[in-house]
Amino acid sequence: MIHRADVVEACALLRDDPDGLYTLPVFVTAVDWPDREPAAPRYDVVYQFRSLHHNDVCRLVVQVPEDDPTVPTLEGEFCGMDWHERECYDLLGIVFEGHHDLRRILLPDDWEGHPLRKDYVSFGEPVAFTHNIEWALPAAERPPGMPGSSR
Amino acid sequence: MAAVLPPSGGLPGGEDPFAEGRRRLGVAADLDTVELTEIGEDTMELNMGPQHPSTHGVLRLVLDLDGEVVRACRPDIGFLHTGFEKDFERHSYQQCIPYSDRMDYLAPLINNLGFSLAAERLLGIEVPPRGQYLRVIMCELARIGSHLIWFGTGALDLGATTPFLYAWRERETILDINELVSGVRMHTSFIRVGGLMADVPDEFEAMVRNVVHTFPKAIDEYELLITKNPIWRQRTVGLGTISAEDALAYGMSGPSLRGSGVAYDLRKAQPYSSYDHFDFDIPVGHNGDVYDRYLCRMREMRESLRIIEQALENLPSGPVNTLDRKVAPPPRNEINTSMESLIRHFKLVTEGFHVPRGQVYQAVESPRGELGFYMVSDGSNRPYRVKVRAPSFSNLSALPYMVKGGLIADVVAVIGSIDIVLGDVDR
Repeated sequence: MIHRADVVEACALLRDDPDGLYTLPVFVTAVDWPDREPAAPRYDVVYQFRSLHHNDVCRLVVQVPEDDPTVPTLEGEFCGMDWHERECYDLLGIVFEGHHDLRRILLPDDWEGHPLRKDYVSFGEPVAFTHNIEWALPAAERPPGMPGSSR
Repeated sequence: MAAVLPPSGGLPGGEDPFAEGRRRLGVAADLDTVELTEIGEDTMELNMGPQHPSTHGVLRLVLDLDGEVVRACRPDIGFLHTGFEKDFERHSYQQCIPYSDRMDYLAPLINNLGFSLAAERLLGIEVPPRGQYLRVIMCELARIGSHLIWFGTGALDLGATTPFLYAWRERETILDINELVSGVRMHTSFIRVGGLMADVPDEFEAMVRNVVHTFPKAIDEYELLITKNPIWRQRTVGLGTISAEDALAYGMSGPSLRGSGVAYDLRKAQPYSSYDHFDFDIPVGHNGDVYDRYLCRMREMRESLRIIEQALENLPSGPVNTLDRKVAPPPRNEINTSMESLIRHFKLVTEGFHVPRGQVYQAVESPRGELGFYMVSDGSNRPYRVKVRAPSFSNLSALPYMVKGGLIADVVAVIGSIDIVLGDVDR
């Protein structure tokens, strides 16, 4: 477990040190812990690297708070992290500072919310049919009182 | 195209890049009456997919073209995103297995295996030897089946129609085995947490032996059609080249990485499910091009057949499921006679089992590379969080690098050679 200011340095060290040589970026993701004790940061950002040379894996965990879910990007160190960081942003809303193209990757660009957060309720979305076409309106445009309305 | 001439006197810097062209056209250097345009700056944006037949699913590529040359490639993915990782959080461990089937739908058994192994590591249980060997046989059959689809469709993309039909013919025998053991041909959910759905029937051995006997000849036939075919070689040798260092930096794995000369296979490096009991080689390429990745996969099919043969030869007897009754349901005849077994069965079906708190990362070698399950448990009967590390996702992220500077027709060959499954990319 490391501090987010040290992420880039730590990963570069893991990659370049002869005792590490963790050259293969496996993934980056995050785990949402909303019910952790109040003072504890809400998100665990999890990095995983693999060293082919030493046949080993290494996992780094960075804790970031709910009001500032940002970590520096690792794009410069591992170009393979590009898409994984975009996925993590898309599904969990972790912002990777310095990423050249931090857009949604799996969900449509106009999607609202980050589905893998624990407060995002799945199967709560209305299904649009012709008889209730207004369900398909974005949350901001739904009339007040209608489920899912943000007004 | 409009006549292209620089302002008279050439460009700042002295060197006049258009001198040669002007000499050929016989145009005076001080001619300044022609309207000037730039050449070589404009690229055409071409949309490829998501319904393009050679993108192997719903992959959309936006290509920046300069004539036939690809200057940039921007993949657009997510058309098949289903939110399986969210679904995992809502279902008990055993209920998650059918969801894992549907991610990499060409080798569903290997997804089952990855999920099951991760949960079993958290539970601290081990599957009996017979269960492990049967898992190996089924997974290697799935690997061959997946490679057959890659071979057939990849060749079809480049205009070879016959291999497609041959590959489908052979794959049918593998699907028949799936049907025999599980009743389902594709999404079998045969491998489950704690073991297998059931032991295999008596006909299983004969059917697998039939595969082991007939497939080497079939693969010879494919190689005869394709491997030394001059058209195939022209379309694949030296294309989509990626060096070992770049492939690693992009997080590539599996045959796509081994084609670049990195002999890394999780079945050898970090053996799971008794893979260390079997003798097999890791095919490795040299040049990292489309052709080497092709050769790796073709040889991998033969190695899989070797593994299946050994596993079948030494198939142990005994139970296939763990004897831990908190995970695996009791046998049917016990339920008829023992009240405790009946209650246990009811609890397992309705509530599932509770998995101790903890986190684990379990990677298995799928036909596409490192398929990893990072599983976090909070001690309940449902996974708290499952992150699926999909091999196709990382492999596809290297596509823009591999096709840059190549021809548009080669994009199709490169996509075929990294063998993506969009269900795996998008999950």
